[in-house]
Amino acid sequence: MDKISKAIISDPLVDNNPITKQILGICSALAVTVKMEQAVVMTFALTFVLVSSNIIISLLRKGIPGKVRIIVQLTVIASLVILIDQVLKAYLYDISKQLSVFVGLIITNCIIMGRAEAFAMQNNFKESLYDGFGNSFGYGLILIIVSTFRELFGSGTLFNYQIIPTWMYLEQGGWYVNNGLMLLAPGAFIILGLIIWVQRTYTHFIED
Amino acid sequence: MQHNNLYTFKFIAMITIVASLLLTLAATQLKERQDFNIEVDKKKNILKSIGLDVAAMQANTIIEEYKNKIQDVVLKQNGDRVNHISSEDLESVENKSTGQLSYFYENHEYLPAYLASEPQAFIFPVSGKGLWSTLYGYLALDMDLNTVKGITFYKHGETPGLGGEIEKKWFQDNFIGKKIFDNSGNLKSITVVKGKAVDDKHEVDGISGATITSRGVTDFLKRDLQRYFTFLTIHRSN
Repeated sequence: MDKISKAIISDPLVDNNPITKQILGICSALAVTVKMEQAVVMTFALTFVLVSSNIIISLLRKGIPGKVRIIVQLTVIASLVILIDQVLKAYLYDISKQLSVFVGLIITNCIIMGRAEAFAMQNNFKESLYDGFGNSFGYGLILIIVSTFRELFGSGTLFNYQIIPTWMYLEQGGWYVNNGLMLLAPGAFIILGLIIWVQRTYTHFIED
Repeated sequence: MQHNNLYTFKFIAMITIVASLLLTLAATQLKERQDFNIEVDKKKNILKSIGLDVAAMQANTIIEEYKNKIQDVVLKQNGDRVNHISSEDLESVENKSTGQLSYFYENHEYLPAYLASEPQAFIFPVSGKGLWSTLYGYLALDMDLNTVKGITFYKHGETPGLGGEIEKKWFQDNFIGKKIFDNSGNLKSITVVKGKAVDDKHEVDGISGATITSRGVTDFLKRDLQRYFTFLTIHRSN
């Protein structure tokens, strides 16, 4: 893999992360990060949709009429989302039940439209494929970091496995109580804010 | 890129046709499996309500166990059993403001229920509003038609970790052994209290941070039990 391709994949991980740098896809980052399991499945679902939509849009880019390009992108994305929703319902029913409406809401995830319009419309098939993976990983990375904090401090578990010993809990005679704020959207906002703060201190990036 | 209008129309038509064909294909091909999943999930929850460990069961085992153990019954509102309809024939209609399900067959209202053998139990569906969503579940009673055998919630949209705790074992286990009638035979139902339960017959521990969901459970349990009151009272005496 050459240097440019590597940059396309690695750039969205930190320096140009879709969530922490471009501030896209915040809504789903709040909604599906209560439990790590949900965050991981959501990452896979988004990876499928983003990579496929990038490939399809990139292959069609020369034929897509400029006037209706957004509609075409939306049709492609919406079809892919319905497809993955149907597949999850057929093969991973329990998880699809937990994710409920959020799979359907991938349609409104700005990252996907954003990459289709800003990248896949101008670049070839291979680069769009890399870009799709890069951005999905960048998105997934943040989701997993946020959900690790939220599940650990909000429920005392990771991947539904008890981490904080049960004897520490108030109900069992200890002193510990799970932090309820972590289970709610504001908890995710706070963690996301802290991640962005740390990242910007480190990269010295300042918004113009 | 500049294209003329005719081309644009053709292109859009193509995209639309391809996308719809693809989705139709997926929907029809996967429909059978999806329906199967929904059915298994329902049966799984009925089995779970009588205390069977369903987490480790495969789909086939669930179907098999259900066939061996559960028999569905349809009741008239006055508590009589109806033999010519099965619970699958009933059409359920949800009251959007209370979340209560009503069941109809040819414009008459009926009540679905399930009878389990080993362990013996009488099971019926319960549903109602929590904070954000409608909660759907099953309540199983022992054959004295008074003691709770178990409860499950199979569908809800409450906040995970708060109201969502209703789907957890610790919360559902609290219901086991509680009574729905008081000593003089009045329907007392079960109350989800704030904090720790005091009355060990009719109260269960609440979920901290989920007062409205807890209150919802209390309300709809009482309401749905009321519908089976006639049946329960008649059969309790014999």
